[in-house]
Amino acid sequence: MTGSGREHHPPPVVDLHGLRFAWRATDRDLLRIDALRVPAGEHIFLRGASGSGKSTLLSLLAGVLVPDRGRILLLGHDLTTLSGTGRDRMRADHVGFIFQMFNLIPYLSVMENVVLPCGFSPRRRARALAHGGSVRAEATRLLGALDMADPALLSRPVTRLSVGQQQRVAAARALIGAPELVVADEPTSALDADRRDAFVDLLFRECRRAGSALVFVSHDAALAPMFDRTIELADINHADGADEAGR
Amino acid sequence: MRTVLELAVRSLLNRRATALLTVLSIACAVVLLLGVERLRHESRESFTSTLSGTDLIVGARSSPVHLLLYSVFHVGNATNNLSWESYRAIAQRPEVAWTIPLSLGDTHGGFRVLGTGPEFFEHFRFGTGRALELRSGQALSGPRDAVLGAEVAAKLRYRLGERIVVAHGAGDVSFSLHRQHPFVVAGILRHTGTPVDRTVLVRLDGMDAMHQPPAARSDVDPLDAALAARRGAAPPSTAPRAHHHETRHAAAPGPQASTDGHSAHGAITAFLVGLKSRPAVLSMQRQINEYRAEPLTAILPAATLPELWEIVGAVEKALFGVSVLVTAVGLTGMLVALLTSLNERRREMAVLRSVGARPTHVFALIVGEAAVLTLTGVAIGIALLYAGLAIGQPWLEARMGLFVPIGWPSMREAGLAALVAVAGIIIGLLPGYRMYRQSLADGMTIRV
Ligand SMILES: Nc1ncnc2c1ncn2[C@@H]1O[C@H](COP(=O)(O)OP(=O)(O)OP(=O)(O)O)[C@@H](O)[C@H]1O
Ligand SMILES: [Mg+2]
Repeated sequence: MTGSGREHHPPPVVDLHGLRFAWRATDRDLLRIDALRVPAGEHIFLRGASGSGKSTLLSLLAGVLVPDRGRILLLGHDLTTLSGTGRDRMRADHVGFIFQMFNLIPYLSVMENVVLPCGFSPRRRARALAHGGSVRAEATRLLGALDMADPALLSRPVTRLSVGQQQRVAAARALIGAPELVVADEPTSALDADRRDAFVDLLFRECRRAGSALVFVSHDAALAPMFDRTIELADINHADGADEAGR
Repeated sequence: MRTVLELAVRSLLNRRATALLTVLSIACAVVLLLGVERLRHESRESFTSTLSGTDLIVGARSSPVHLLLYSVFHVGNATNNLSWESYRAIAQRPEVAWTIPLSLGDTHGGFRVLGTGPEFFEHFRFGTGRALELRSGQALSGPRDAVLGAEVAAKLRYRLGERIVVAHGAGDVSFSLHRQHPFVVAGILRHTGTPVDRTVLVRLDGMDAMHQPPAARSDVDPLDAALAARRGAAPPSTAPRAHHHETRHAAAPGPQASTDGHSAHGAITAFLVGLKSRPAVLSMQRQINEYRAEPLTAILPAATLPELWEIVGAVEKALFGVSVLVTAVGLTGMLVALLTSLNERRREMAVLRSVGARPTHVFALIVGEAAVLTLTGVAIGIALLYAGLAIGQPWLEARMGLFVPIGWPSMREAGLAALVAVAGIIIGLLPGYRMYRQSLADGMTIRV
């Protein structure tokens, strides 16, 4: 039933059916989504009120959480039937993450932060090698593409970078080894409008170059027009347990 | 896993102040633990090898430990002496290879004076079969000769040729001095690490002469006087050969006897026996214990020395217990440091999860940190121990008479070090597991 008519296309990055999720068995469902599909390379803007369950949905897509019901296919692999280790491996190999803030490991250098996923995923390491010649070269290229080429910046402890610089390092880390899916959970909420637009531009360009699909969460509606598609979580989520504030 | 270990090291370097303190406390604990263990081992070795090659020690009837204490360690006094006749009778048994008579009871400058014979230099062995060596001078050859143990010579600053006066009875201050019979320092021994270092050796006949009442002194042995005169040592009038003790052996002392010290003497305190064949030792012991003419006790030093160590070594056991506790405290410090760091590291773990780390990686990271801390601590501890040994070795030997060789760690020491390392890693399992559970629950979201 997934892409039955177009076998010659790559499988969708995310294909989700009949998902139900509650934080605790006794809670009402936070998420109840019949279907959500993210085709390869598509850039999706996911909007929703605070507390509506956007971050929870991203955790489900990344296999950190398991739904109570339904199936989540990541590149055709059903996360709900995989073991915890299997899901962790899927995430390491195929998903890059950017959080709102505090993305970086404080005791690692900029370079070490960027190449970190390659330490956990041989696949992403191999891809980074294929693309840049060496993992470090690929990291340097990505940092350069994200306007972080200045050697003075690279040698600085990550805790002394500005928030915008930290977010660009996080983006380079999410993109290294060209994962099929890049998930960004409000990565621009700490940036001013100019910085935000520049960041999103750079992120788009690199996602396109890597061929990664992008799921970008924000409640900043001004960004929506830049994306291929905008999804209002409230529109696809039929749960009545979600906070009503955003409706 | 390499990534995780690198992360553990980097994370520790980031918190290097705390990490350094933890490592140092573990290192100090290891120094103490292994240092005490090594000193314990060496003092046990040096203690149990106070005598070597001696098959039996024979004295008047007493408890084995008591006999060992007064005859070898010069601690306490014999309640009874044994007669010269019994000594000679046993010494002449066919199984006996050699004997060394020991006569104690006098002191000089707080050190015991041991009356013995040339056999002492010939047959006495300590450590791994080492014989006594003279640092200067010569062994006992005349009745006025005294040979000093290394510590006696060092403490009292005596040189060869010096005259010394012996006091009757033990103790630093004695009111009865044998002024009429001074001895002359003839030789000084090398360091042995045994009670011999703290002993003044004289010949039995010299000792006998010293104990003569002044009245008996007019009776001068012409032979001894002649000998003394020839050596130019002491005036002949104070070198008597005749004896007033009733226990004196009746056999006439020939010229040979007077030079080898085997002439008749008064009662002696104890004697050491070397047998021709080791297996005879038990039957010999039984025969001596059942000796008719006089109640005697024979002990096997090889058996009684460890027995005595059990008593003397109690302090060292306590010391070892304390060092085990210090090690436990050092490791607990690490546990506290790791546990308190967990909460502030939740975000770090969430980020690691997001880049593909499994909860087991998170677990391994924390346990890896514990492992790096303890292994570094143990390594630095061992290095410090060897540095300390290298510096302290001369001091220990000079002041404590304890030679601590600097060699590879013994099996037991290596085992102790490994035990500390394993204990540290096991202790790391607790915060590791806590972080593992936390990471499973937090996933990638963290609330601060
Ligand atoms: N670990 C958790 N345990 C229990 N409940 C949780 C947990 N994480 C989130 N929730 C609840 O789930 C709901 C959705 O949270 P979520 O973080 O997904 O919202 P969000 O849409 O990302 O909000 P925001 O825009 O503020 O980030 C909230 O009501 C929250 O209280
Ligand atoms: Mg959120």
